[in-house]
Amino acid sequence: MGDEPNRSPLMARVCWRLVDILSLMLHSDEREAVRGDLVESGAPGSQALRDVLGLVARRQAAPWTHWRPWLTFVTLVVPLGMLLSVVSTTTADGSAVYVWMYANNWKWGDLGNAGFWHVFVETVLLIFKGYLALACWSWTSGFVLGTISPRMTQTNGVLFFLMLLFGGLVGAPRYFAYFWQFRRGANGPVFSLLFYRETFPVIVLALLVVGPSLWGIRQGKRTERLRPLLRYILGIAAIATLPAMVIQNPELSVFLKLFRRREIWDAWQIWLLQLVVYWPVAYLVADAIGRHRHRRVASI
Amino acid sequence: MIGEFEYLILSAATRLREDAYGAAIRREIEDATRHGCSIGALYTTLDRLEAKGFIKTRMGDPTPERGGRPKRMVRVTAMGIRAASDFYAAVTRVSRGVSWETNRIAVR
Repeated sequence: MGDEPNRSPLMARVCWRLVDILSLMLHSDEREAVRGDLVESGAPGSQALRDVLGLVARRQAAPWTHWRPWLTFVTLVVPLGMLLSVVSTTTADGSAVYVWMYANNWKWGDLGNAGFWHVFVETVLLIFKGYLALACWSWTSGFVLGTISPRMTQTNGVLFFLMLLFGGLVGAPRYFAYFWQFRRGANGPVFSLLFYRETFPVIVLALLVVGPSLWGIRQGKRTERLRPLLRYILGIAAIATLPAMVIQNPELSVFLKLFRRREIWDAWQIWLLQLVVYWPVAYLVADAIGRHRHRRVASI
Repeated sequence: MIGEFEYLILSAATRLREDAYGAAIRREIEDATRHGCSIGALYTTLDRLEAKGFIKTRMGDPTPERGGRPKRMVRVTAMGIRAASDFYAAVTRVSRGVSWETNRIAVR
């Protein structure tokens, strides 16, 4: 590590820590060579930070001189980030009403009531189904991004999360009436509480969108090692998930100005398509079984 | 035709022979030009030169003075030597009749 004559040791440590974090964005061989060069040259922390920052910036910027990253950004990152942001908010709002109903209006006396349990189980299943679908959509979105451009996952990941944060703003004009009606109407008492209005949607976004999509990106990067046929099947499943996301969220149909005819949308094919949404569960289970078997064979 | 910075790297790597690697090439360029050479520019240009077939790189062994980290060793190929030689010849031809040395003295 280089000397830091004019700076405090704390500042030097911070700089080198940042160098460590930033260099994770480099290829492992390059990371080792660059860190070695910096140690050998005795560069101070601030200089090392500038050097690594410059290299990372060049590496991240280089692919944007081609058309592919732009196509991925326009056709996947922006729409997926925006749609998931909207779906996350509506899922959070929808479930917040039920959570408020039970958590803020809990009566111990209801536990003896058979009707209470019937409705309670039904509600829990409804919320679980919505949450599972949202987590699967997010995972699939991450998976698609990881599969399509494994070398751009860091940049695409950052852009995707920025879209998640600002997706709501993009759709705000069209959604204004919906939110006004939903949050100010009969559900007014729920959303008058700061927790359900502000905190709950952030928790849902973090746990059911950000977490699963990061996991999906990681899994998607690994598909480089899979056989072409399996990659093809996974790609079809991922693509089929996207229309299912639109179908299962009536708010999205309004948002995207889609035509909704009841007899079409209630057909059995559409019902089957909705099941495709949960394919990540099957994939992850199969992957876990495969890896367990591989470990067992390797240990023999 | 290669660029000026590419020429500097090829020249430094050729002079360093077996000892040509990232930090050493950077030192050579900084000593020769008396200007800073950023790691970003160096490593991206090394990649470009390798893609053009002008150099070949490999990871060397870890050394203690580098904190146990390996070097990225560089070897200039025959194509690289030809490209650098062409660039030098072009610079020499275009500089013919121009007395830079006189001008530098005049500026001083």
